[in-house]
Amino acid sequence: MISDKLRKVILSELDLDDFDFQDETKATEVPGWDSLNHVNIIIAVEKHFGIKFKSLEILRLKNVGDLQNLVDSKLNK
Amino acid sequence: MFDNFQLSRITDLLQFNPDSPLIFSTGLFIFLFFGFLLIYNLLTKYKNARLYFLIFFSVYFYYKSAGYLASILILSAVINFYFGKLISTSTKPGIRRLFLIVSIIANLGILSYFKYTNFIIEIINGIQSAQITPLDIFLPIGISFYTFKSMSYIFDVYMEMMEPTKSFRDFCVFVFFFPNILAGPIDRASEFIPQINKEPFLTKEDLGKALFLIILGLIKKIVIADYISLNFVDRVFDFPLRYTGFENLVAIYGYTLQIYCDFSGYSDMAIGIALLMGFKLMDNFNSPFKAVSIADFWRRWHISLSSWLLDYLFKPLQMKFRNLRQFSNVIGLFVTFLLCGLWHGAGWNFIFWGALHGIFMSFSLMIKKPKEFVQKKLHIHNTVGLKFLQRFITFNLVAFSFLIFRLRSFDTIYEVIDQIFSFFHGEILMQFLEKMPLISGLLILGYLFHFMPDKVEIYIKKFITSLPLVGKAILLALVIWIVAQFKSADMQPFIYFQF
Repeated sequence: MISDKLRKVILSELDLDDFDFQDETKATEVPGWDSLNHVNIIIAVEKHFGIKFKSLEILRLKNVGDLQNLVDSKLNK
Repeated sequence: MFDNFQLSRITDLLQFNPDSPLIFSTGLFIFLFFGFLLIYNLLTKYKNARLYFLIFFSVYFYYKSAGYLASILILSAVINFYFGKLISTSTKPGIRRLFLIVSIIANLGILSYFKYTNFIIEIINGIQSAQITPLDIFLPIGISFYTFKSMSYIFDVYMEMMEPTKSFRDFCVFVFFFPNILAGPIDRASEFIPQINKEPFLTKEDLGKALFLIILGLIKKIVIADYISLNFVDRVFDFPLRYTGFENLVAIYGYTLQIYCDFSGYSDMAIGIALLMGFKLMDNFNSPFKAVSIADFWRRWHISLSSWLLDYLFKPLQMKFRNLRQFSNVIGLFVTFLLCGLWHGAGWNFIFWGALHGIFMSFSLMIKKPKEFVQKKLHIHNTVGLKFLQRFITFNLVAFSFLIFRLRSFDTIYEVIDQIFSFFHGEILMQFLEKMPLISGLLILGYLFHFMPDKVEIYIKKFITSLPLVGKAILLALVIWIVAQFKSADMQPFIYFQF
């Protein structure tokens, strides 16, 4: 499940009022989340949660659920 | 009864000939493919025999176009299969990374030797006024395509996006698969390999779609691309100064249509042929001239290459330099498109073509926010008029970039542009239409069909699917007859074969 915090960071970065994020939601399904904007979202997530991803970890992400799991795994370390 | 003379002619026909690759639109291919398909279908229940037969036919298909250099293809398959294995079985990240780097060096080393050695020698000779003699290197046809196809497997295994295949047989089917070996689509192992062990099953819709794509591909390649190239585009670009600016401009639009019909026609046939064998290949084109921006164009043109570059080059670069924020995109875009240009060929024009697209994309990224602000202020955001304007600008930028792609000499490019701006003579339009009715008609029809709504294509597909088998056969025979009327005496290789 996507946490409220992560949802808000993504919505704010994409300038969206609301979006129904599911674990399986892919970036391409979200308005404005294209390959160029992707970097801004990743930086915003890193900054908000005070964590740092490895490049390979980001490249492996398939959907928003994977991003949530990655954030959780970093916070639990 | 065959006598010795006839037998030797048949043997000659079946042997390697660099000037006569086994192109889908040749009579020889159609004859061999029907024989192949018959045996392939008879072997439906015998998976092992069917797959080895497919490997054998694919290697023969490649040998017919590349001769002894088919050994490079086999070497590439062996290297990538075992590196995939080594990467997946290593537990230490450093060792996995090392195997990845070595496999990239091996793949790009082979590709570069064949493709870029003489270009580098030319550059060295230019800088140092040296006299290094160029090497006698024969470029193995399709090497850029199958190298990238195999590399996608290595990357996906490294990034743990897929489990490596345990079967060398299956890996060979993936790498050697004849429909996409010479000019793509550059299919992904993760999508293709799981299809290998499924029993081929062709639905009525699949058969209709396959036939539609083969017919469409034949018409695009022979009727449009080859005809306008031989009878108009090549003539203008050989001597631009002999023609008015108007004709030069029409030649630019003509070449833009030609390269699209040539390449997407090949992809259509490849996808259709693969479908007849029960394999679904990835889409490679999606009405690229309907694009409203250069970024949109690259989501629609040569999709298998652009998505490959996006996943394995742009995204890693973008993430590596993400602290630079927007500049990570600019760096990623520029490097990606420069290498995209170089992938197409060892020539400065290809490098400039790639750089130009890198500049288009970076510029568009820089002005994205102010542009959206202005559009919202003027209340033209998402309007039909704005979309039309965006399409018009994008199409012309793309067409101009293809001029650089087509002409290797910058002097000739200058001549074409100079004629357009200083000797246009638009009044010859009516004369042009009267003197070249077939060329004008093909250009107009080609573009009209391209800009038709998607539902027209869906309707035609449904119509072909609904035809009884005899109707489908008659339709195919009719198209082959029409195509034969347009076919020139000299075989025109596909433009993308040279890459």
